[in-house]
Amino acid sequence: MEWLAWFEETALSTWVREEPWVFPFILSVHALGMGLSAGVSTAINLRSLGLAPRVPVELMKRFLPLVWIGFSANTLSGVMLLIGYPAKALTNWLFYGKLLFLALGVWTTIRLCRQLGNPSAEANKKLAVASLLCWAGVIVAGRFLAYTYTILLAMWWVE
Amino acid sequence: MDAATLNSLHVPITEFGVNSGIHAFMNSAWAWPAMESLHFLGLSLLMGTVGIFDLRMLGLARSISMAALHKLVPWGVAGYCVNVSSGFLFFVSDPTQYLYNPAFQLKVLCMFIAGVNMVVFYLTTAKQIKASDAGDFAPLNARIIAAISLAAWSSVIVFGRLITFHRPPDHWCFWCT
Repeated sequence: MEWLAWFEETALSTWVREEPWVFPFILSVHALGMGLSAGVSTAINLRSLGLAPRVPVELMKRFLPLVWIGFSANTLSGVMLLIGYPAKALTNWLFYGKLLFLALGVWTTIRLCRQLGNPSAEANKKLAVASLLCWAGVIVAGRFLAYTYTILLAMWWVE
Repeated sequence: MDAATLNSLHVPITEFGVNSGIHAFMNSAWAWPAMESLHFLGLSLLMGTVGIFDLRMLGLARSISMAALHKLVPWGVAGYCVNVSSGFLFFVSDPTQYLYNPAFQLKVLCMFIAGVNMVVFYLTTAKQIKASDAGDFAPLNARIIAAISLAAWSSVIVFGRLITFHRPPDHWCFWCT
């Protein structure tokens, strides 16, 4: 906790929290990246579940780079949010739940894209449902992070 | 409308929110974050389906037929309906946060632009798109509509995210003096 309090006093952490426009900008990037990564993954999953049947299912992986763009934007903006309020996230178990859902969501989406062409549509459907649930989990956990933290800033806790 | 009327627009909305029980529901345990979660899920559904359709019209993944991919768009409309419903709950539960907030006003403006843009699409070039095949290019007007759609919906997300900064500082409101 002392280490986190020290970190919060660094110029970078202070800049993220206090510089006008920086924090809203990071949040906006995080929301756009969410729409891109979770949204495009959802579209791939919906196709795997049998929607839009005239789209050749294996071609849906052409959209996977968009998931990566969103994922990269959100890793960067997420790290920035963490730099601004490290204790807020790191002392909340839900944050680790979000990361777990995220890892599973990315993993299931990649795996699904690898096996889209294979004839076992049934296995693909199970994977698509699991993937949809994981991405929903990331979003719900992320939103609840704003309401479930116990420590906003370690520097207030330590002193 | 005079200034006094403009400044009391929220009064009947607040009354409706309270009388309908929506205000009490939204302030019950976890209701607000739960509805926000739905709002973000709807956002992702809309961006994921309409977004890839727009990008396809702009030339991405041309091996997929635009007509076939368009079948995902109703799911984006479903996401939109989820978000109008959840957005309505936020709005009537705390109208002053939204009505006088420039971020909200700009968000509604961008939703309006996206809506008009969609109507123009279905009245003009949608027929051509629905008759097109894999590998086809979208006509120029469809590409312009796709670009406007992406820009408008992205702006809706950004301005929506900025609503959080309740009663933003004066320099946010560029038309205020």
